[in-house]
Amino acid sequence: MSCDEVTCNLFVNHYTLSIVEYSATYTEAELIRGLRDHDQKIFSYLYDHYSPVFYGVIVRVLNNDNNVSDVLQDVFLKIWRYSDKYDENKGRLFTWMLNITRNTAIDMLRTKSHQPDLKSLHLTDETSTDSHLAVYPYIDHVGLAKVLESLTREQRLLIDLAYYKGCTREEIANILEIPLGTVKTRIRNTIQQLRNILNK
Amino acid sequence: MDVQHYISSGILESYVFGLLSSPEQEEIESIASQYPEVKAAVDALQEDKAKFVKLFAVVPPVAIKDRMLDVLRHENTPNGHQLLPAELRTVAPVVNGKARNGKHTPVVKLQSPKKKRDHIWKYLAAAIVVLLLGSVFMNFFFYNRSTDYKSRYKSLIAAREKLEAEKAQQSLTSQPLVEKEPAILKDPAYRQFRLEGSGRFSNYVATVCWNPQTHMLFLIAQLMPVPPEGKQFQLWAVLNKKLVDAGVFESGAALAGKLQQMKPIADVQAFAITLEKTGGSTSPSLDQLCMATRPTK
Repeated sequence: MSCDEVTCNLFVNHYTLSIVEYSATYTEAELIRGLRDHDQKIFSYLYDHYSPVFYGVIVRVLNNDNNVSDVLQDVFLKIWRYSDKYDENKGRLFTWMLNITRNTAIDMLRTKSHQPDLKSLHLTDETSTDSHLAVYPYIDHVGLAKVLESLTREQRLLIDLAYYKGCTREEIANILEIPLGTVKTRIRNTIQQLRNILNK
Repeated sequence: MDVQHYISSGILESYVFGLLSSPEQEEIESIASQYPEVKAAVDALQEDKAKFVKLFAVVPPVAIKDRMLDVLRHENTPNGHQLLPAELRTVAPVVNGKARNGKHTPVVKLQSPKKKRDHIWKYLAAAIVVLLLGSVFMNFFFYNRSTDYKSRYKSLIAAREKLEAEKAQQSLTSQPLVEKEPAILKDPAYRQFRLEGSGRFSNYVATVCWNPQTHMLFLIAQLMPVPPEGKQFQLWAVLNKKLVDAGVFESGAALAGKLQQMKPIADVQAFAITLEKTGGSTSPSLDQLCMATRPTK
């Protein structure tokens, strides 16, 4: 048996946390203008559409930290307040908001652990994603598992240290015990591989 | 500049994934503004990164949005201002819009010390009277209660004994059911789905174990009430937006640990539970939808 399309969509939207791409309602230009005009409707819209992505970034930077919610709030307040600092020529609005998210979360991480090492960064081996996934209901559970499986442990650590823990090349070379000169090429190889998986 | 060499050097990946210092970042941005090919490569990498971080998307608690909109609504009041992140606070918060132009020097009325001391004595005397009255009242109150203690103590002992007897009885009867539960929950051949309610069903929890090979399906109604008279909960398997009947089941505290066998299901993406008439329905009453899942394993 099947339920009709409309009820099914309602059902899917309500019960399986789906992400909707924003192109459906507002253009990028409308979003930027709305944000700069401090239009609460646009702001609310941005929050509804991007908070899961940003929350996911913060969770990953801070792990099971209690401050995750506070950081998310700070991120959106900064987006609201600093909207006139956004420069379209440098990149998409999403990229700008994502940078604010990452920087705010890493600042919080750094106030807690000054010396980055494997322990203080609470790195988890992502091959055992189950434990991680059980704590947070990741929206794209299947895609995530697929990507994590296809990267090596070192590649996963590399992305984690660079992007989510904000480590410098020197710190990464120390933690992974690899020559400093190879960090850049390894990052490139990892990202190339990631691109292949993501665009499959 | 050899643009291709620059693009393939790995510097752009390092830039997009946050490995560069601020001066290095600015250098990349300036080069990107001059060379469209570099800009295109950076944009493509930003798209890759966006796709990657979206994989980790997690829905945040609903309360954050309300709290945040509240902060925005009050950001121009002194209290709301304090709620802003430290770096967003201006040095002197705007108070009723007056402090902004600095022309209004606040005038504070200075009181003579003597007058101030008079006030203190008055308040002290009033406080003592209030404390005294409170004390008299509490004395009466506790005296009345203490006389009542002995009988209440006895009835409490009796109630405890009765509860303990009931508990012993219960653990005797439920032992075999509880023991059965962990075996399947730990069985790697079974995929587990946790169902949680939302809205007025938000406390409900059930677990479904499904074996993709044998298609066997079991349900444990861990935290679900006894259904109303003439009603029964029914499990549905969701596959490609279609809901397939997986059978009805019993619920209630007495059955919380019991493993219930459901109809076998060949393939499934998620599960849902609705409240139906006793015996189940052939199509789900979606307005009676109580619980739904995402796979956890």
